[in-house]
Amino acid sequence: MRGYWATWSVLLVFTVVMLWADSASLPRMAFVVFMLAAMLTKASIIGANFMHLTSERVPLITTVVVGLLVTGAILYVLIVPDAARIHEMAARYGPR
Amino acid sequence: MDTVERLAGGSYPFDVGWRKVMMWWFIVTDGLLFAGFLASYGYARILAFHWPQQSGVFSLKYIAAMTFVLITSSATMASAVQYAKDGKRSDALKYVLLTAVGGFVFLGMQAYEWSHLIREGASLMKNPWGDASFGSYFFLLTGFHGTHVLTGVIVLTTTAVRLGNGRTRPEGVEMAGLYWHFVDLVWVFIFTLFYLV
Repeated sequence: MRGYWATWSVLLVFTVVMLWADSASLPRMAFVVFMLAAMLTKASIIGANFMHLTSERVPLITTVVVGLLVTGAILYVLIVPDAARIHEMAARYGPR
Repeated sequence: MDTVERLAGGSYPFDVGWRKVMMWWFIVTDGLLFAGFLASYGYARILAFHWPQQSGVFSLKYIAAMTFVLITSSATMASAVQYAKDGKRSDALKYVLLTAVGGFVFLGMQAYEWSHLIREGASLMKNPWGDASFGSYFFLLTGFHGTHVLTGVIVLTTTAVRLGNGRTRPEGVEMAGLYWHFVDLVWVFIFTLFYLV
């Protein structure tokens, strides 16, 4: 039972650090990378400790992790260049 | 050696009951729905020329408090699952109820946040702070997540009643727990991507 509350403490510390990072004047890219890393770490901690994914068999873990993360990443990576292209077009041809 | 053997799955690759497999399948598919929303939000965010500064719109301390409530409710839910597995029914019931209370508090806080922003002029179609899609994505993402929290509270309340009557086995509490942790997991993504980044 103490393990769950230790996990809770770690998640809380991560949340506080993320809020601190939000108020600190970090360079934009460093800020985004830090936030994404913290977010994925928090998600992994919840999946591993609260959802007991670490005690499941490899096929189940693989299905869940690969299914969610890879598909999510593909969804994002495939459409983002198109959004960025609009800014290139605005710079080239003027604002909308 | 084929793939199944290499992954140590043998004839039972997942080696869990059908309820748990189905719950995980539900979590993966529902997670993909949220992934779609978040990817679409990412697209709109990059596309926008004037995305509002979140700290100027939201009270991040208030959102942090909502996060605190949800994380705490996840810890109480994990404890409830463990007590149920250990056969301590009254303790499990106590912690399931605590989790449901956490869900209620979160929903109350979200209702307050929504009403506050609506009073300031935010809607699905427009908002006073910048790009019009900011309001759309705010209400879509937090609304869809809030609906999941509401469903979770209903599931937890039902589980608590059945647990009190001795009609729920530990596996039932575990299923409710998986769903509740998923709701918490999704909030981690929304909190970071919508409120902070």
